[in-house]
Amino acid sequence: MAASIVASKCNQGTSNRCPSNGDGPARFLSRGCPEAFQVFPKLIGTKAHYGEDESAFPNSTPFLRARTSEEEEEEEDDDEDSEDIYPPARTIEDLRQLYEDMRQQKGSKRDVVSRILEGDWRHGLTLYQLAMADFAYLDEHPTSQKWNAYQILPLQKPSHTEDEQLLKVDKESLQAPRFHPSTFLQNLQDQVLPDVKAHYHFHRLQEFPLLLLRIFVIDSPYNSALALSSLDQSGTVTNFDASRTIYLAFPDGSPSLYTTKSQGTGSAGTGESKSLQNLIIDGVPKALSRPMERYTVKSTSITTRNLAALLDMKGPGRGNAAGGGWSIYADEKNKQSPLDAILPTPPGSREQSASTSSRKRGAPLTQSQRDRKRARAAAQSRFGDSASISDGKGIERFEVVLQDPFPATSRNRTALEANQEEVSEDGEAQSRPNHRRSKVESVLQQAVQDIDDVDDVNEVDTSFSHWTPMLKVTFSGPHVFAGIRQLVEAGIIDGKRMPGWMTGEETVTKGAVQRGRIRGQKGSGL
Amino acid sequence: MASETNEAEVDVLGDEIADLEEQIAATKKQLKIQASTIIASIPSQSLVKESSRSRSKTNKKLLKGLQGQEAHQQQCLYRICNPVTAFKVHDPDPNAVDRGHVLGLRFEVMSRSQFLKPYYVMLNRPYSKSSALRIHRHTLPSAIPLAGLAARHLPPPKPEDENPPSQDLDQFVRTLRREIMRYHNRLGISADLRRALGLHQITEGDTGPTSIVEVGIADIEAKQIKLTWADERNGRLVMDDDGKVTKFSIFGVDGRDWETTKSLFDRPQRIEEVVEKLRQSSTS
Repeated sequence: MAASIVASKCNQGTSNRCPSNGDGPARFLSRGCPEAFQVFPKLIGTKAHYGEDESAFPNSTPFLRARTSEEEEEEEDDDEDSEDIYPPARTIEDLRQLYEDMRQQKGSKRDVVSRILEGDWRHGLTLYQLAMADFAYLDEHPTSQKWNAYQILPLQKPSHTEDEQLLKVDKESLQAPRFHPSTFLQNLQDQVLPDVKAHYHFHRLQEFPLLLLRIFVIDSPYNSALALSSLDQSGTVTNFDASRTIYLAFPDGSPSLYTTKSQGTGSAGTGESKSLQNLIIDGVPKALSRPMERYTVKSTSITTRNLAALLDMKGPGRGNAAGGGWSIYADEKNKQSPLDAILPTPPGSREQSASTSSRKRGAPLTQSQRDRKRARAAAQSRFGDSASISDGKGIERFEVVLQDPFPATSRNRTALEANQEEVSEDGEAQSRPNHRRSKVESVLQQAVQDIDDVDDVNEVDTSFSHWTPMLKVTFSGPHVFAGIRQLVEAGIIDGKRMPGWMTGEETVTKGAVQRGRIRGQKGSGL
Repeated sequence: MASETNEAEVDVLGDEIADLEEQIAATKKQLKIQASTIIASIPSQSLVKESSRSRSKTNKKLLKGLQGQEAHQQQCLYRICNPVTAFKVHDPDPNAVDRGHVLGLRFEVMSRSQFLKPYYVMLNRPYSKSSALRIHRHTLPSAIPLAGLAARHLPPPKPEDENPPSQDLDQFVRTLRREIMRYHNRLGISADLRRALGLHQITEGDTGPTSIVEVGIADIEAKQIKLTWADERNGRLVMDDDGKVTKFSIFGVDGRDWETTKSLFDRPQRIEEVVEKLRQSSTS
């Protein structure tokens, strides 16, 4: 048996089964189906026609009682396998009914999982079924993954005269990359190294207009079912623990790409998973490219768990380069046809809030009421209609590195200037916590990469005349910009003096701030 | 018994209140339309201007309303006559470049003889030594190659160069509008096809094997249309920038369907002609 498998370049087949006695599938299922009974239709396959013969869906056949037994003997046979805790069902219809019953009785999740593993799929779950379980989980918990956004950019055509290998981004290109799922997958499989065996699966999420590709990588050179068995010949190594899952998402109608960090089922070093992710990311542009049309992917400093926010910031709509207060121009609802002769009421005017208009004849506003009104108007003017707590487009983390010199007052100026040299030297020499430091530097590095115009570089050299400590500000919460908006509305932040990056109008989630603006992002970053 | 009648009464009253609220909203809208019509008419304008010498409070308010209405009407007129209009915006960011002066461009788009929400492009002047423009914000969809057009027509100045590259805002706007129109026309074509085939509403039953059951846009720029027939044949249609069909292929269960492809597309032709043929073949 062991001699019959050979390492090959092919990928893991969809119908390869993982033995259900290993703990790998169990982990998938118990994570993948909080409502485990609902997973049954997913395990059996969505396109399968129930009642037809089982060969119609070889990827998900459950363990059924053999049909060979005579029809008349059926009743007497019932107690034949009485020692079997989960007697196999006779037809798929029966099984469906069984799971439906379990759903109505609200059985516990563990019961259902153990029934799936030890009863109906005792001969193992296929990779297809594991993928379906994962997508079921993702459908119910769309925020369970952390997504990084990348931009797909065209590259210049290589000229034959030069031997330069380094291709530049073609800024003048008018082409948009064309994405064809099956061609892409074929090319990607060619790009990924042959010793990585992976299972690929395309899926569409119910709520979001994007196409998901799940890449499930198994650390084994074999593409047979034996590679999935949790014990290999020596009886120690568990391949399943070293497996990784990466998602790639292609939004409809937008030249961007979202990826997740790879996630293992077992414990493996972070370095390994990072390199795997890089491997995939490196393969993606090559898979997207076609003869005479080359593309590259560029990170866009957007990282969030919220797919809706991501689609708003790097998606097919109008909001890609008009965040924060500028979103009033991107709002689809507010049409303003020129044939409409009625004078539009400016936002925030008295007529709009009809409910409060009764107050205008009453007593004059008190100071605090007036302040609150002013703060609310300021918030409206800076945020527009964006950043409301209920819009479901909240990013959970926003980090900036501040590179502006501290404001020097007349009192502390001399002291600051005296300290300046010392401090700047200290700043270099001080042993900071390593990981924190590296995060700051990565943001800076990204910002430097973003800078494309010379003018900006000139500014950098002149601005370090005052005390400029290394300062990183991180906002985190369920909806960062809605939180800032509420602070403005409450009068805690001065809406007029608040810098623009605090409104989220730059549509990034990390960046370096210089002269009060996010660097390299003077505008939409075009 | 009493509670039942009470409930019925409450229902009746609730309905009545909802009706009245609707009436109020309608009347308010009517009032707005009437007010703007009256104030826009020439006799009333001259009346208001004549009486502007008296400095009463209501007069001031009237005059202000008149000015606002006049400005709005002028803007509307320009927007109707011109597909691209410019306006001034103030960037609310206190750290904004060039003291927050922003030039806004408004690109009108129409669909089925209605004005849609226009697209906006905001330009500012971030460079210290030159008055060159740069794109600040925009609301264009990703299908429009704004970055490429900006790099071609609005190149950033380079300080080391003797003669900086010249920017051509006029040409930029022209080409950009052209791209927007092309994109919208392409979107319109597939929407028209869908409507012609009756796919915009769900109809059940009357689908023969040769009728098209699905029409979809297959790429970002809406240059490719995906077709699906009832007998599981798939088709792909590729057009160029100007709406000329360049490629068309149909795949059936057993390979390419050359016959149908030939009957629908035998020589390079406009997308409209192909759509008409598709419609005829699908309904017959």
